[in-house]
Amino acid sequence: MAGLEVPCGETLGRHKVNGEVEMKKSSAFIMVVPGLVILAVCLFLPLLRVIVPTFSDGEYPFSAYISFFQDEYYMTIFFRTVKIALITTAVCMIGGVPTAYFISRCSKKWRGILLAVSIFPMMTNSVIRSFAWINILGSNGIVNRFLMAVGLADKPVKLLYTEFAIIIGSVYLFLPLMIVTVSGVMENIGDDMMEAAQSLGANRLIAFMKVIFPMSLPGIIVGGILVFTGTLTAYTTPQLLGGNTNMVMATFIYQRAMAVGDWNGAAVISLIMIVVTLIVIKGFNALANRLDRRGESNG
Amino acid sequence: MAFMTLENIAVCYDKKKQILKGLNLEVEKGELVSLLGPSGCGKTTTLRVVAGFIDPQEGTFRLDGDDLTKVPVHKRNFGLVFQSYALFPHLSVYDNVAFGLKMRKMGKDEIDRKVKDILEVCGLTDLADRFPQQMSGGQRQRVALARALVIEPKLLLLDEPLSNLDAKLRVNMRVEIKRIQKKLGITTLFVTHDQEECFSISDKVAVMNQGVIEQYDSPENIYRHPKTEFVARFIGFENFLDLKKSGDVYQTADGKVFAVETPHEEAALTGTIRPEDIEIDREGRTANVLEGTVGVRTFLGKSYQYEVSTSAGKFMVNMRAEDQFQEGDPIRLYLPANKLILVSR
Ligand SMILES: Nc1ncnc2c1ncn2[C@@H]1O[C@H](COP(=O)(O)OP(=O)(O)O)[C@@H](O)[C@H]1O
Ligand SMILES: [Mg+2]
Repeated sequence: MAGLEVPCGETLGRHKVNGEVEMKKSSAFIMVVPGLVILAVCLFLPLLRVIVPTFSDGEYPFSAYISFFQDEYYMTIFFRTVKIALITTAVCMIGGVPTAYFISRCSKKWRGILLAVSIFPMMTNSVIRSFAWINILGSNGIVNRFLMAVGLADKPVKLLYTEFAIIIGSVYLFLPLMIVTVSGVMENIGDDMMEAAQSLGANRLIAFMKVIFPMSLPGIIVGGILVFTGTLTAYTTPQLLGGNTNMVMATFIYQRAMAVGDWNGAAVISLIMIVVTLIVIKGFNALANRLDRRGESNG
Repeated sequence: MAFMTLENIAVCYDKKKQILKGLNLEVEKGELVSLLGPSGCGKTTTLRVVAGFIDPQEGTFRLDGDDLTKVPVHKRNFGLVFQSYALFPHLSVYDNVAFGLKMRKMGKDEIDRKVKDILEVCGLTDLADRFPQQMSGGQRQRVALARALVIEPKLLLLDEPLSNLDAKLRVNMRVEIKRIQKKLGITTLFVTHDQEECFSISDKVAVMNQGVIEQYDSPENIYRHPKTEFVARFIGFENFLDLKKSGDVYQTADGKVFAVETPHEEAALTGTIRPEDIEIDREGRTANVLEGTVGVRTFLGKSYQYEVSTSAGKFMVNMRAEDQFQEGDPIRLYLPANKLILVSR
């Protein structure tokens, strides 16, 4: 998440730096070295080890990548993955932002309780969570039994092993992340903001849209990036809820590498995913900067 | 009927404690009225009832004859200035000020004209493109004021608007607020706990104590004739002595006699006098005199303040630099009849 810039945190960071005694550049560098070494050994080295060979695969340097984008089956998986990640992100935003605002307005005690409750799903194992959804969405699951009982369906509706199931599972998985991130930002927005907007003639909904939402945008962007990258790279949920017909990039990589033994193909897809992630993060940040120009000329 | 009235307003946040206990207030059109009182006495609560953030358990709030008690905040059209200013950090000065007009679905040109006008009045024309965090406290204060005024509110409500500014700026800003308020002729409620600030700016002052208004009058009248001991204490009286009526004069418990200029109907009350109004008796008067011993001295610049122990308790006395006393000196304090004021206990 190297490109992650939080527009609002910037001012915060600056204050912090101003409050501290400035360090000599050399000693600051020495303190950074261990971190850099660990990063280099544990992150970049394996990455390079996997990525570099993909460029010499085939007739000319990028042929592995070109053939990926020319393959219809690959592209279906690629777009399905991106689509699922985008929809999941959107649903998490729509559901998470108002929830986060509600939680942020509660008293300290209730805030703690509600946050703990919303994080709870995150603390259970992702395999178990997915099995819970299989139980709910399966042809003999709760939803289908209900639909048939009230007569809305005469035979089980296919819910499990669809993109829909993956999205449901991913939303369930990542919504807490959104809520926690956004409510953390919203906690710092005083009641006086809402009240000022109301006094100027905005009802609560408009005040939320015009003041609270833009003010919490930095948090929403961070939450969005977390949810998007999380969904994009999630393996267990799409594997268990999507089945073999709804493969996504992560499950596809696994299949390439383990089942087919095509390590190079897997590496190609990995790099493409990394690039997509970076592009989306850039896009999110560009969007945030467009919507939030405050303090632009601030030196 | 007055332009704005609060009738018998009762508010409690929880069942145990009542914050406002049947508060009444009348404000005439175009007046600037201050709510003055110590922290926690319910000033903000009163203002929030007027603004519409609090629905009082009892009582009625009227403006111009209309009952607005149940009208939601965003339909009241009042200008609010918060202690924290509450400027929107994601909007420029211009957009902060334009916010209320946009909510009223005004045309772009009309918004532009009105925003520029009010920025001019508030001396903000050059800062229109700044963002709140790029400005000083005084500038933010002006923006908050401009934002509240541009919607041409029926009432302007200010909650301790100057308390976050340094002393000098505070004085400038209160003159500024008064100037703009008179220029626009807008009825204003001003909350403060600073008596000097409040006296300098207000047409009328409501002194609050524990959820009720103890005295409501012009600053001059309150300064000269506080009605209760609480009000007297709050506006700078420091010396109090218990008195009982006996005929035309008043007596302390040990029989010392005091005459006053303005009598009081109650039998048991408190006499009070400002430290600077006490004189030294050198003529051997028999009435309006307290004997005491000089205690600690503090330097106030123009004068010295002495703490004097008397049979009626400790008295604070201000004296010019030429009258020097030493700790332990005996002293006779003369409390002139025209300066000794009687207040209810
Ligand atoms: N939201 C609230 N919930 C509970 N008690 C409150 C609340 N707001 C204020 N109070 C209490 O009400 C009393 C009056 O508060 P306030 O009106 O803010 O006083 P002031 O503005 O004069 O300092 C205080 O004792 C305060 O603790
Ligand atoms: Mg207050």
